[in-house]
Amino acid sequence: MDANNLNVIVGEGTCGIAAGSKEVIEAFQKYAPEIKIRTVGCVGMCHQEVITEINDNNGNRYIYGRVTKKNVPQIIKFHQGEGDRLNDNLIYSPEEQDTDKWKYLAHQTRIALRNVGFLDPTSISEYEQRDGYKAIRKILREMTPEQVIEEIKVSSIRGRGGAGFPTHIKWSFARKSEGDSKYLICNGDEGDPGAFMDRSLLEGDPHNVIEGMLIAAYAIGASRGYAYVRAEYPLAVKNFGKAIRDAHERGVLGDNIQGSNFSFDIKIKEGAGAFVCGEETALIASIEGERGMPRFKPPFPAVKGLFGKPTIINNVETLANLPWIINNGGAAYAAYGTEDSKGTKVFALAGAIKKGGLVEVPMGTKIRDVLEDIGGGSSSGKPFKAVQLGGPSGGCIPESLFDTTIEYAAINATGAIMGSGGMIVMDETTCMVDLAKYFLSFTQLESCGKCTFCRIGTLRMRELLTRICDGEAEMSDLDALDELTEQIKKSSLCGLGQTAPNPVATTLRYFRSEYEAHIKERRCPAAVCKKLITHTIIPADCTACSLCEMQCPVDAITGEKKVKGSYIINQAKCINCGMCFEVCNSKAILVK
Amino acid sequence: MSQALEAKVEPEVVLGWINKIGSDSSSTVPLLQAVQSEYGYLPRAAMDLIIQNTDITGRQVYGVATFYSQFRLKPVGRHIIRICHGTACHVSGADRLDTSLRHILKITDGEQDTAENGSYTIEQVACVGCCSQAPVMVISDEVSGNLTGASAQRVLKKHAKKNEEIVANI
Repeated sequence: MDANNLNVIVGEGTCGIAAGSKEVIEAFQKYAPEIKIRTVGCVGMCHQEVITEINDNNGNRYIYGRVTKKNVPQIIKFHQGEGDRLNDNLIYSPEEQDTDKWKYLAHQTRIALRNVGFLDPTSISEYEQRDGYKAIRKILREMTPEQVIEEIKVSSIRGRGGAGFPTHIKWSFARKSEGDSKYLICNGDEGDPGAFMDRSLLEGDPHNVIEGMLIAAYAIGASRGYAYVRAEYPLAVKNFGKAIRDAHERGVLGDNIQGSNFSFDIKIKEGAGAFVCGEETALIASIEGERGMPRFKPPFPAVKGLFGKPTIINNVETLANLPWIINNGGAAYAAYGTEDSKGTKVFALAGAIKKGGLVEVPMGTKIRDVLEDIGGGSSSGKPFKAVQLGGPSGGCIPESLFDTTIEYAAINATGAIMGSGGMIVMDETTCMVDLAKYFLSFTQLESCGKCTFCRIGTLRMRELLTRICDGEAEMSDLDALDELTEQIKKSSLCGLGQTAPNPVATTLRYFRSEYEAHIKERRCPAAVCKKLITHTIIPADCTACSLCEMQCPVDAITGEKKVKGSYIINQAKCINCGMCFEVCNSKAILVK
Repeated sequence: MSQALEAKVEPEVVLGWINKIGSDSSSTVPLLQAVQSEYGYLPRAAMDLIIQNTDITGRQVYGVATFYSQFRLKPVGRHIIRICHGTACHVSGADRLDTSLRHILKITDGEQDTAENGSYTIEQVACVGCCSQAPVMVISDEVSGNLTGASAQRVLKKHAKKNEEIVANI
């Protein structure tokens, strides 16, 4: 077969690029210069990047994972009818549709993510071929704003950014607000470390988000929109910007859309790096050119928001569901999920998990099913210890509670929150006290400083946690942590402060024994906390290769090359950075 | 910090941005972003030009510049290394990337983040959203993932070779 008849599709989300997609594309261009290459967003199988799909001219589809530039010649040859297939990397083929790797996608229910990884995000036609801009055309033709709000009410979708406030209620406040000038803001300030679904949607299916914004804007009566995107997501800004320009040309954005009297335009605002700007009033202050500090509510933004006008702020994932809901009906969406939580939710699965990436499942799925059936279990082979949900505002759910179903009330009952959907999996190599310290250091740094308890309380908590990790704490410090938890929650204006103590509260509740080991025994059970561990060389296993000596940043390791037993670590100098452990090929470094 | 890294601000360039982006209060963040993408940081002279030629006050410029983590008030190296310290990266050894890169850049002073020769600046960022490839770093605009301390050094050395920068050879 001629290579010219092959269609090659390469995943080029940020994660694909991180795994080397550029090199793979260059290799295809080098070995088969005439080949047609398309690039798509991240399909969510981040653990399989670089993902490469081959469509031959018989309509057969082959998907390969973990492709490197070295694999490219073999792939091309095989599809030209020569040589062996790259079987170890095969995810999907016409003959094998039930591979273990393909299960990752097959076990999901994709609504928000339905197009991501399947279309070229820079092509408006490809979006249109997948029912794109059908929902907004339908609305303009046959629905009043009230009917749109009613349809969303039937779907029962709640805000996917974290707080879970019913979308239709928020909209009806703004609909009822007086005034001819209203704003619709897309909140793409995905600040939770560990969550990347908004990045993936903005990069991989920007038109879907634009169409979602159009639907929301029509419902509330807004004529101007902003997309607030994190500056850390340059590819999202680029692809979204191109999508806005293309939508203008196509007449689905701008004045008198599709000949109606509905006009709407979108401007991109790049965030400048402040976690607190995920909070609505802080985000508004930031667009207005101020420090992103929250203010007291009411008045709610739906009444008095950006530049004093009624404003609705919807999260990217929420918006990405809207075109599907309009096309398929609110009832079809509400058919997924539970009584308490309808529809689907996207999670960003990462950490000690075999198959990490983006996962969209119906509400009501058990945490364990996400981790085992889709995630494929623990990556290290060691048992799971906990999963962290909701980032710095969330908490740690221990393995014993993995049968909890994913729905707002059930997750809240564990002390964690649904949040924006970060799901970081941990095995026994993670120290829960260190993790709590990590999150408190984050919130302390990101606190805007307006409320005393958030500003100083998080600092005090961070100091207490540092003392525990350093082995310098007393048992009474745990009571102080409890007390600060209560006070900070009660005395903070916005969600950042109100939820900041959650990581500490949940780890104290489920992993108290780890805190006690640090305090009473001056021991870190996971061997993470640097002041409580030592690195030593096991003379019998050391081959005197000198790698550790070269890599030690503080010259704490001395010895003579090729003289076995000569290497020692000077404990007075050692900072327990772990570089020697990492580079040692003969497992001769003991960490205790 | 060596004097050579201090940027020379051309007033016409800054005035050009003001013309293009706007001079009202809501232009504060985009204007400072334009300044920083040109100079790598916010030179005092550029901030003064904004204050003198727009409706934006000094309080606002300095307030915004010190509030958002993106903005820097000190000059940086010719290239920026952003080490991700998101949750997934933290639990998979982001600290070690920091240690190993500081080692080959010979940044021994914990307060400093730029190599003595002005080549690279190390920055810690909250999350670049590539959690499944943790730990991750970004040099200039190139993302690399699934790193170890040693492989991060190899990536940096490759970048340095391509850009004719000098890093320690260990």
